[in-house]
Amino acid sequence: MREYKSRFLIATFILIQAFLILVGRMWYLQISRGDEFEKFSLHNRIRFVRVPAPRGRILDRHGREIVVNRPSFDVYVLPEDIKDPERLADSLSRILEIDVVEIRERITKAFRENRFRPALIIRDINRDQLAFIEARKSRLQGVLIEVNHVRKYPHGKLGAAFLGYLGKANEADLELYPDIRGDDIVGKVGIERNWETYLRGEDGFIQKVTDALGREVRNNLFERDLKRRDSIPGGDVILSIDLRLQKAAEEALGDKFGAAVAIDVRTGGVLALVSHPTFDPRDFVRGIEAKKWKELIEDRSFPFINRATQGLYAPGSVFKIVTAAAGLKEEVINSDTRFYCPGAYTLGRKTFKCWKKGGHGTVNLHRAIVESCDVYFYNVGERLGIDRFARYIAAFGFGSLTGIDLSERAGIAPSKEWKLSALKQPWYTGETIVTAIGQGYISVTPLQIALMTASVANGGTVLKPQIVKRVVSSEGEVLAEYGLETRGQLPLGEDIISKIKDALKGVVNEDRGTGRASRLDEILVAGKTGTAQVVSHTDKVERREHNDHAWFTSYAPADDPEIAVTVMVEHGGKGGSVAAPLVKQILEAYLKIKKGGNV
Amino acid sequence: MMLDRRLVKNFNWSIFSLIMVICVVGLVNLYSASYQTGLSVFKKQLLWVVLGVFGMILISFLDTKTIERYTQYAYIASVLLLITVLVLGKEVSGSKSWISLGSYITIQPSEFAKVPVILALAKFYHNDFENAPYGFRDLVKPIFFVALLVLLVMLQPDLGTALMIILISGSLVLFMGLRIRSIIFFLILAIGLSFPTWHFFLKDYQKERIETFLDPSRDPLGSGYNSIQSQIAIGSGEVFGKGLMRGSQTQLRFIPERHTDFAFSVLAEEWGFTGSVFTLVLYLMLVLWILDTASFAKSKFSMVVCVGVAAMFFWHTLINVGMVSGILPVTGVPLLILSYGGSSILTAMLGIGIVMGIRMRKFPGAKEAVEFR
Repeated sequence: MREYKSRFLIATFILIQAFLILVGRMWYLQISRGDEFEKFSLHNRIRFVRVPAPRGRILDRHGREIVVNRPSFDVYVLPEDIKDPERLADSLSRILEIDVVEIRERITKAFRENRFRPALIIRDINRDQLAFIEARKSRLQGVLIEVNHVRKYPHGKLGAAFLGYLGKANEADLELYPDIRGDDIVGKVGIERNWETYLRGEDGFIQKVTDALGREVRNNLFERDLKRRDSIPGGDVILSIDLRLQKAAEEALGDKFGAAVAIDVRTGGVLALVSHPTFDPRDFVRGIEAKKWKELIEDRSFPFINRATQGLYAPGSVFKIVTAAAGLKEEVINSDTRFYCPGAYTLGRKTFKCWKKGGHGTVNLHRAIVESCDVYFYNVGERLGIDRFARYIAAFGFGSLTGIDLSERAGIAPSKEWKLSALKQPWYTGETIVTAIGQGYISVTPLQIALMTASVANGGTVLKPQIVKRVVSSEGEVLAEYGLETRGQLPLGEDIISKIKDALKGVVNEDRGTGRASRLDEILVAGKTGTAQVVSHTDKVERREHNDHAWFTSYAPADDPEIAVTVMVEHGGKGGSVAAPLVKQILEAYLKIKKGGNV
Repeated sequence: MMLDRRLVKNFNWSIFSLIMVICVVGLVNLYSASYQTGLSVFKKQLLWVVLGVFGMILISFLDTKTIERYTQYAYIASVLLLITVLVLGKEVSGSKSWISLGSYITIQPSEFAKVPVILALAKFYHNDFENAPYGFRDLVKPIFFVALLVLLVMLQPDLGTALMIILISGSLVLFMGLRIRSIIFFLILAIGLSFPTWHFFLKDYQKERIETFLDPSRDPLGSGYNSIQSQIAIGSGEVFGKGLMRGSQTQLRFIPERHTDFAFSVLAEEWGFTGSVFTLVLYLMLVLWILDTASFAKSKFSMVVCVGVAAMFFWHTLINVGMVSGILPVTGVPLLILSYGGSSILTAMLGIGIVMGIRMRKFPGAKEAVEFR
């Protein structure tokens, strides 16, 4: 067929063109972009399974465990392996004591999401349940147990107020820590939150081969591609807290509402910090139940408030230390200045009572502190005037945050300016007079009082309290260290401080001292009692609400102070009879610890 | 039919070997693609290949004149089968393309329809004394033959095969010569028909495939998924491939329809650029050999049949490989011999068998010489 010759040529030409296009395409896919596609095919089949890093521990100053981890056995189901979902739901419901409907819902959801991926049913089952499931494994096809880490609190509620708790990350957390995922557990408050970045560690991963459906393939053909990375455990947070002292302080406070703070007056290290009542961190281990959460939130005893750093109270007579210091420095008084106390003080038409009905008679500063004479300090307060007084109040650190790395409140340091801006009212002299005995607008936290006491005890240095000493990696490397930090110096001479210290020694050790209940034979204690009136007492039905707050703040040994201890019992009554014995208990424990070794 | 000794002597062993190599490549590839799910697919294909090879040899000994004589019967049988499939066919993913013969064997009449189309066109051009170029009016008869089959296939609907029939017969018509005016007319007709086809004939999933091809990113996990996974498979084969039964895309089932339409992706992944080009060269050689046979053909009928069979292989290969490598939209067009499927294997072997028969009789006077003796 010669006449078709040219057509055969054209056809052959087209044929070879098409062939070249296909070969070109193969070249492009397999040679030019081969490496890229090889990576695609690798990612295609490899699934990352996260290996959670164990969270760092929280230890006391000597490395004793306060918060640690324990394994949690979590129940998952793999829908692919489930034979009869209804029956499985029934059996699981009986073993795990969860409502059948709820389990059925979770299984159905698992089927809907991905048949080949394990779905969580419940976290942290107990050992009996675990044994039960393990024993019936053949009949519970599709049920998997995975081991995770959860928090363990060997001392129960001890320290809960500052340790905090963990919870599922919310949006704010996700913004704060860019490397976490939605269902991760993070520290919500306290040490757990503020040291989150150290505690969390770094998750590792293992890779698994999956097929197009996401089903795990145990085919050693592709195992050479698999990589893994071990998790890096979080760093341990070493607190300045001494576990034994913390325990003693918690025992001393017992079931009374209130707070106790013990700090090292030389370093600002917090040795014990108690707030009562508190929540139980164990409730948060599995994720808190909605009902329990509501209960805690609505609890009128405010278990989430750390009373030591967030509780605001009138300081009462412990505040006389500030008044005395201001009076002496401003030379309104000297140590010989005497005032007569008839049991009341009159200013204009107003009468201000002394706590002692018959009055103290004529007293000097020393006796006024030892016996806590109110009228003496009314005199000092009136002569000082609020402007000069306010400078000293601020110098002791009142009205500002202490800088402890926990949630805290600043309280109120009253002054003319404060009142004008906060209440839009002018200042009255009567208010200076009540401020002089720690009543009125002044409000403080127990920690602030402990720091005030420490600053007197150490000769005038206002310290920044430290709750954490250092953070140590799982390999023993120190990741962070927190040393002594001062916030300022009291504007007082040595003579003034020694006069006050002398009086504080008297409070505990002299026959008429209000703080005699904290006296110890082995060690000289100095301190100051306080009985703060609760201002708002219109409602007479609920007795406890009207009772005074009992304060006692102290340091020891009086001549070479090491520790300051402050106790405040909410609505406890008299500081001398209620708070002072508790301080004594804590100091006794301190002595015992000291005898046993270092603190 | 008399068995002609010259025929046996002229039996083309080199082309027979080429076919056998393609068959072996296809079987090995299918083994790798299916061994995980049991070998029933492989065994069936093996049976089809054996049957096909025998069929091919048998057909090659048939006299071309006999084939020409039976053309109308083949065409009528094909039409009847296509009507049967519309009535009795079983529906698989939206298309009624299969007739079940017992529980193991299903046949796809639309695949077979390609050969009668080629024969019918060949017969038309053989008997037509008008010489090229042809005009539209000259071609009314063949257009009717083709259009009837295309319509029946479209009704299933089997877009891929309908497209194949159009491409094969279109190539033939162009090869045999067409007036410029008629070319323009056909172009206008094609464009004009594409709109009603789009609106009335194509099912949603088919429209989706074409839309996805035009813009694969519009739905990476939907219809574009197959194409992307196939390209990943081919690309990740790199130069020498991942090795037999070691293609992760294949063995972990990322490639869809590994036995059938995407068989070439399996080959490209496991044998790399080397294997895929080798295979393409095999097909190129096959088509060139068929064209070569056409150029030596003694009669117009033989020549047109050869060109038709060449067009069938050419278009199947181009469309299938183009589809799996992402330069053409996903249409259900198998790669002849390499893809699993009895009907397409038999069709391919039938076509080659006829061409072989023509090749064996290419020597002028050979037949007469035998007959006179």
